Amino acid sequence: MLALIYFIILAVIAVGGALCVLFARHPLYGALSLVVSMLSLAGIYGLLGSPFVGVVQVMVYAGAIMMLLTFVIMVLNGARDSRTPRFDKVSLFVFPAVIVLGGLLGVALVSTPFAFDAGTLRGSVALTSATLFDTEASGHGYFILFEAVGLLLLSAMVAAVLMAKRRLGTTDETEGGEN
Amino acid sequence: MELQAVYVQILALILFVIGLLTAISRRNVFFVLMGVELALNAVNLSLIGFSKTLPGDLSVAGQIVPLFTIAVAAAEACVGLAMVILIFRNQESVDSDNYSGMKG
Repeated sequence: MLALIYFIILAVIAVGGALCVLFARHPLYGALSLVVSMLSLAGIYGLLGSPFVGVVQVMVYAGAIMMLLTFVIMVLNGARDSRTPRFDKVSLFVFPAVIVLGGLLGVALVSTPFAFDAGTLRGSVALTSATLFDTEASGHGYFILFEAVGLLLLSAMVAAVLMAKRRLGTTDETEGGEN
Repeated sequence: MELQAVYVQILALILFVIGLLTAISRRNVFFVLMGVELALNAVNLSLIGFSKTLPGDLSVAGQIVPLFTIAVAAAEACVGLAMVILIFRNQESVDSDNYSGMKG
């Protein structure tokens, strides 16, 4: 009962933040309400018994990614664009189409029987780290994926630095041209 | 009245629909990126909720995959924002309708 009350409170906050993202005028307000939505989603992860994913959500999503987004919005000064309308005429067709798609998926979800399996404990830090790094017990699949994610993050960082370099170093025009 | 597994999926569906609407119908390119992030969050929530319905060892994958999703979303946001900076320097606009320079 208590879990349901907590879930309803967090779900209302999450959906409210998402609606603020959809209807906000300034990108900065949208980013801040997206942070609120992600923090309440982290609370829901903790409520569902996977605190490690919740902590990663707070650190990476609400911390790093949204900090980067807010920083770029402030640097590019998106307030200059507040004169352009939020939606255009195509949205008249997009809104009913996506809402009908969501309704169809909702009917399929409600008519499918499934329930929580409360017997086993999962999502703890010890179990997650054992699954990721104990290659004798769980095979090499997750460990190789982990290494691949490291490579992906490194290449994304290099690509971002290369693409945004001309703004940072305005003097080395000849050096930036070789890329 | 306990917390049912369906409620979590319904919440994930609502968040996914809102994120998809934001990504498709908003014109500001920052809102497009934020809608993509919101939809990714909703899918993470759905995976966590479904992994609690499976018994035992089967359910560990549903706890591991969201971690990789979050890492890939971090890489995507990094490259996407660098591309936004690059385009904004050429176009001086964040309206995604102005980015149709590749149209023939």
